[in-house]
Amino acid sequence: MIIQVKNLSKTYEYYKKQPGLWASVKGLFHREKLFKEAVREINFEIKEGELVGFLGPNGAGKTTTLKMLSGILYPTSGEAKVLGHIPWKREPKYQKQFALVMGQKNQLWWDLPAMESFILNKEIYEVSDADFKKNLNELVELLDIKDVLDVQVRKLSLGQRMKCELVAALLHKPKVLFLDEPTIGLDVVAQKNIRDFIKEYNRKNKTTILLTSHYMEDVKELCERVIIIDEGRIIYDGNLGSLIEKYAPYKVLKISFEGEGVKKEDVEKYGNVTDFQPSRITLQVDREKAKDVAREILSSDLPVDDILIDEVEISDVVRKIFSNNAKK
Amino acid sequence: MIKRYSAIMKNEIQRQFTYRANIVAYAVGNIAELVALTVIWTIVYRSIDSVHGYTSNEMIGYVIFAWFFSFLTTTYAFEHNIARDIHLGTLSNLLLKPQSYIRYVAAVGTARISVAFCIVLIQGAIVFSFFKGSLIFSSEVSTILLLLTMLVITYFINLFLSILIGFIAFWATEIDGIYQSLKVFSKFMSGTFFPIVLLPAFLVKASYFLPFIYTIYIPVQLYLGKISFAEGLRGLAIEILWLVVLYGIIKVVWRFGLKKYESVGI
Repeated sequence: MIIQVKNLSKTYEYYKKQPGLWASVKGLFHREKLFKEAVREINFEIKEGELVGFLGPNGAGKTTTLKMLSGILYPTSGEAKVLGHIPWKREPKYQKQFALVMGQKNQLWWDLPAMESFILNKEIYEVSDADFKKNLNELVELLDIKDVLDVQVRKLSLGQRMKCELVAALLHKPKVLFLDEPTIGLDVVAQKNIRDFIKEYNRKNKTTILLTSHYMEDVKELCERVIIIDEGRIIYDGNLGSLIEKYAPYKVLKISFEGEGVKKEDVEKYGNVTDFQPSRITLQVDREKAKDVAREILSSDLPVDDILIDEVEISDVVRKIFSNNAKK
Repeated sequence: MIKRYSAIMKNEIQRQFTYRANIVAYAVGNIAELVALTVIWTIVYRSIDSVHGYTSNEMIGYVIFAWFFSFLTTTYAFEHNIARDIHLGTLSNLLLKPQSYIRYVAAVGTARISVAFCIVLIQGAIVFSFFKGSLIFSSEVSTILLLLTMLVITYFINLFLSILIGFIAFWATEIDGIYQSLKVFSKFMSGTFFPIVLLPAFLVKASYFLPFIYTIYIPVQLYLGKISFAEGLRGLAIEILWLVVLYGIIKVVWRFGLKKYESVGI
C-alpha cells in the first residue's frame, strides 16, 4: 500500500464576521469562534500505480485531504502514511518522492521563464544533471511545450502555464503525484491534452496518482476507481462502472419517431418518461428490462425512426448522490 | 548546498532586472533622503557653530556615512514579501518541498537587495567625491575591516527583523501599520537621522538595550574615529549576540506561526 489513510479528520477554526459597521466595531472586543469540520474520519488505501479520482462538490474536503497527505496541514485526528512516511512530519526523504500540483496556485516564478523555475526545482530536489535532462526532454515532448520554456510565465496562457506547472512538479520523478483540480479553468482542448498526458504518464511510469476534481469528465476519462467525498465523508469508494450500477439501477432509452410522432399515452406504459416531444422521447427503464422494452417498442406499431439504449449520465448519478446526501 | 542557494539567488536577481523602473525609483528615493538631511543640517549650522560637540563638517560627515551604511544594509521592506507568502498561501508551495523556508527567504531577501546595493555603492562614490575635502574619517585597515564586519552583521540583523515582522502576518491581516512604525523607530534609534547622543540622556541609555544603536550609530562613530577600536569590538560582540537572539526568536515564532497557518488552512 502506497497511501494509507485511517480515520483522518481536519477541523478548521475561524471567526464569524457579521456584516455591518456596528458588528465590525463589536468584533474588536468579542468574536465568535466557529469550527468547520472539513474532513471527518475518512479511510482509504491506494496501491502503487493506481490512478484514483477524488470527486466531490466544492467544500467537500478534497483539497484539505490532499494538503494533509502533502504535509502542508496537520490533521486534527487520525493517521495517514504515504510511502511509509507520515506526511506532516515533512521529512525531506518523503518530500523528494512526491509532488503536488494545485490548479489554482502557481509554484512557478511569475516574472521569469519557466525554465528558470525548473532549474531551481532541480537544485531543491537534488536531481542530477543527467536525470534532469532526460526527464525534462521526456516531459516537454509529451506536453509539446518546447517553444514556451523561455517565455515569462506571466505571458503564457492558462493552458501553457498548467503544462509548465506539471513539468516543474515531475522533474524529480516522484512516485506519488497529487493533482488538485488540474484542469480547472482550461478550455476543452487544453483539458483533453492534460488528461491524455496524465493517463500516458501514469501508464508509462506507474506513478501513483490521486486526482481531485469536480469535473466529471476528468474522472470519467482517467480513473477506474473513484472516491466520492461530500461534506467531509466518503460516500463511495470503488469502481466507476459499479457506481452507476449501484446508484442508477436503470438505463435510458432515447427514441425518435418519424412522421407525426406519438402521443404521451402511447409510450407511458413502457417506462418512466423523463422527456417528451412528439418526435422524440427519453424513457427510463429498469436495467434488466431495458432490452425487452426496446424489443417491444420496435415490434409495436409506433413509427420508430431510431433507438438508443444508453447509460445514465454519470454526472446525473453523482448529482443524485450529492442531493440525497444533502437531504439526510 | 551552494548550488541550491545560488540557484535561488540567481532567480531573484534575474527577477530584479525585470523591474528596472522600480530600481530607478528606489535609487531616487535613497538620494532624496540624504539631500533632505544635509539641507536641514546646513540650515541649522547657519546659526550655530556646534551641536552637542559636532561641528558642521562633523555632522555632515555623520549624516552622510549614516545614510550610506543604512542604505547598504536595508532590506527594502522585505517583510511585505513574507507577509504576502503567508496571506496568499504561496507559503504552502514551499512547505511541501525539501527546502527550509527561513533559509529560502534569507537567500531571496539577500539577492533582492543586490542590485540596489550596487547602486548605493555608486551613489556613495558620487556623494563622497562631492564632499571630498570636508569629510574626516579613518583609513586604518583594521578599523575598516571591523567596520565591514559590523555592517555585514547589521544587514543580517535587519534581515532577521524583516522576517520577524513578516511573520506577524500569521496572526494579523494588516502589517503595514506595524511595519511603518517599526521602520521609523528603528531608523530613529539607530542614529540614521542624527547622532543618538542628541537625544535626552534616558533615551540614549534605553537605546543601548535595543539592537538598533549597534547597527548604524556605533559603526559610524568607529569610522569617524569618535570611538576606539576596542569599543568597536565590544559593539560588534553585542551585535553578534543580538543576531543570535533574533535567530532564536525567529525559530520560535515560526513554529507557532505555522500552527496558526495550518489551522486556518489557506
